[in-house]
Amino acid sequence: MDAPKIKKESKNKIRVDFERAPLWERVKGKYFSMKFVKDVVYKIFRLVLLVGVCFVILYPYISKIADSFKIFPDFQDVTVIYISTNPTLEQYKYIITENDYFLALLNTFLVSASTAFVQTLVCALIGYGLAKFKFRGRNLLFAIVVLTMMLPQDLIRLPMQNMFCRFDTEHPIGILINKLFGTQVRFGVGNSETWVKFSGFIPHYLLSITGFGFRNGLFIFLLRQFFTGVPDELEESAYMDGCTAFRTFFQIIIPIAIPMLITVFIFSFSWQWTDDFYINTFWTSAHWTGDNSIPLLSSGNFVTKFPSQLTSMYGGSDKVVGWDAYVNAVSGTSTILIALPLIIAFIFLQNKIVQGIERSGIVG
Amino acid sequence: MAKNKDFTTTSADGTVLYHMAPKKKMRLTLSKRKALSGWLLVLPFVIGLIFVYGPILFSSLRAVFYSVEVKLTGIEYYFVGIGNIKWAFQDDLYFVDSLVNGFKSLLIQVPAIIIFSLFMAIILNQKMRGRAAFRAIFFLPVILSIGIIDTIDTNAQLTMAAITGGIDDGTGALTEGANSFVSMMDLNNLFANVQIGGGFMEIAMGLVNDIFNVVSRSGVQMLIFLSGLQSISPAIYESCQIDGASAWETFWKVTLPMISPMILVNSIYTLIDAFTASSNKVINHIFINIGGNSNPINSMYEYVDPATGETIHKLFSDNSLRTTEMWIYVVFISLLVVVVALLMKAFVFYQKRD
Repeated sequence: MDAPKIKKESKNKIRVDFERAPLWERVKGKYFSMKFVKDVVYKIFRLVLLVGVCFVILYPYISKIADSFKIFPDFQDVTVIYISTNPTLEQYKYIITENDYFLALLNTFLVSASTAFVQTLVCALIGYGLAKFKFRGRNLLFAIVVLTMMLPQDLIRLPMQNMFCRFDTEHPIGILINKLFGTQVRFGVGNSETWVKFSGFIPHYLLSITGFGFRNGLFIFLLRQFFTGVPDELEESAYMDGCTAFRTFFQIIIPIAIPMLITVFIFSFSWQWTDDFYINTFWTSAHWTGDNSIPLLSSGNFVTKFPSQLTSMYGGSDKVVGWDAYVNAVSGTSTILIALPLIIAFIFLQNKIVQGIERSGIVG
Repeated sequence: MAKNKDFTTTSADGTVLYHMAPKKKMRLTLSKRKALSGWLLVLPFVIGLIFVYGPILFSSLRAVFYSVEVKLTGIEYYFVGIGNIKWAFQDDLYFVDSLVNGFKSLLIQVPAIIIFSLFMAIILNQKMRGRAAFRAIFFLPVILSIGIIDTIDTNAQLTMAAITGGIDDGTGALTEGANSFVSMMDLNNLFANVQIGGGFMEIAMGLVNDIFNVVSRSGVQMLIFLSGLQSISPAIYESCQIDGASAWETFWKVTLPMISPMILVNSIYTLIDAFTASSNKVINHIFINIGGNSNPINSMYEYVDPATGETIHKLFSDNSLRTTEMWIYVVFISLLVVVVALLMKAFVFYQKRD
C-alpha cells in the first residue's frame, strides 16, 4: 500500500489522498454485517412501536374528527366508517351559532388566563416560602400541601358547595356577618338574585388566591422542589445589599424561575380551560341555569349542549337507529371545538413545558 | 430597689413600684426575620387553610360521624357515631368488593404504567428523527384527557357500550386484533396446560384491554424519566463501554440504579393520579351505586330528638354514606402510599454528590 499522498493546495491548506478500498468492499463491509442488520431491525421495531402508541393516543381524536364531518344518515349506513358520504360542516356551524361558541371561548380564555396567573403567582410565593425559609410549622404546612394533592375532588365537592351557597349559616364568618349586619351572604349556585350571576367568581378566585385551587398542591410541590435547588448565595448577596425577602423574590428569584413558572402557568391554564368540576360546582348547576349563568366552554349549558337545529333537521329521537351515535358524534365535535385552541397553543409551547419539568429539580 | 425578672421594680420593703418591660430591640435577629418573611410568604395558604379549606375539610369529616341532610330550609345534622362506617362495611353489598378490586387493579396498573413509561422514555432518549413530535404526542393526554373532555368521552363510551356492547376507547381496532389473536392461539388453553394459572392470563388480557388507559396516563411519568435519563452523565456509559459491558448489563447496573429515585417519585405520582382520576372505579361505585336502584339504602338509624325526647327512625343520608366510603378509601390509599414509599426507599440509590 502506498503512503498517502500529500498535496499542498494553498498556503495553509493541504489535501491528503488515501487509497480507498473498492466500492464493493466498502458496501459489503458496511451493509453485510450482523450489526447493520440488527440495527435496521431494531429501528423498524422502534418506529412501529412508537407509531403504534401514537395511534392509540390519537385514535379518539382521529375518529372524532372523522365523525364531525358526517351527517346523520351516515350513522345509519353501515358501509360508512370514516369518510362521510356527504361531508359537511353543519355540526360545527350549529354548535358555533347556537351555543354561543365565541362568547364562551372569550369567557373561558379570560377565566383561564386570570386563574392561571393568580394560581401561578400564589403557588410560587407559597412554594418559595416553604423552600427557603425555616419557621415553625413549615413541615406541617408542607404535609398539608401533599394532603391536598391526595384528596380526590369528589370528597370535598358537596361540603364546598354547601359552604359557599349557604355561607350565612355554614361558615363562621358568614354567621358572624349575619349576626352583626343582618345580611345574608351567599355565593354561587342556588341563588336567584342578579348579583349572584357573578358571585360564582368569588369562591373560585378565593380558592385560587389561597392556593387551594385545582391541583394547586401539585404546583406548590413542583415550585418548592425548584426553589430548593436555587443556590442560597444568590439571595444572601441580595440580603447583604439590603433587599427584603419580597423584593428578592420578585427581582431575583422570579427571573430565574421563568421556565418553571411557564410550565405551571400552562398546566393551570389548560386544566382550567377544560375544568368542569369547579365550574359546575360554583357557576352552573341544575339549580342555576338559563339567564343567570355565564357561558363557558366547559359548562354544561353551552358548547356541550346538543344544538336544536340538528334535532329539527333530522327529527331524531332516541328510538331512531343511529341517533345515539350521532349525538355522541356531535358532542365529539364540541370536544374538538373545546380542545382546538389548546392544541394549537400546545404545539407552540410543548418545548417550554418539557424544559420546565426538566429543570424543576424533581430530577436529582 | 431591685429589678426582678418579671420586669417589676420593687422597693426595699417589697412593694411594687412600677411594672416596666425593658425597651424592646426593634431589630429582630436574622433567623427570626427570615422566619417572619417565610410566614408572610405562606400567609395566603394559612388563611385559606383556616377560613376556606379547613371548614370544608371539617364539614366533610363531620359527614363521617353524622347523617347530613341537605334541605331547602338548611342543613340538618344527626349524630350517628360509627353508623356510617358500619353501614359501609356491613350493608353496602359492593363496597368491600369494589375496594378489593380497586386495589388489585392499582397493583397491576401502577407497575404497568411505570414499566411502560420507563421503556418509552429509554426509547425516546435515543437520537432519532421526529423525537420532539413523538414526545409531544405522548404528552398530549396530560393536557387533554381531563375535565370536560374526559367527561364527554366517558359519557360517549357509556352510550356506545350500551349500543354495541363494547367500549370504543381507541383500542377498538387493537382489542379486536388481540382478541382474534388470542382466540387463534387459544392462549387460555395453552396456559391451562402449562399450569401458570388463569389469574395470570386474566391480568395479561386486562392489560391489553386497558392499554389506552396505561398509555394516556403515562405522559408525566415519561417526562420525569426522560429528564432523569438525560441527567445521567455520559461518562459513566462510556466507561461501561470501555470495560466491555453489554447494553443489557449497562441497563441493570447503571441506568436502573441511577433512575431509581424517579421510580419512587413516579410510583407515588401514579398512585395518587389513579386515585384522584375521574375514571377511578371505586369512586365511581361510590357515586353511582349508593342511593341508586342497585344498592338501595335500607338501613335505618335511631335518633333521639333533643327537643321532644322521642326516638325517630331515619334512613341514612346517602351523601354521608358516600363521604364515609370516600374517607375509608382515602385512608387505605394513604396507607398504600406510605407502604410503597417505605418499600421503595430501601431500593432507591442516591448518587453521592460532592
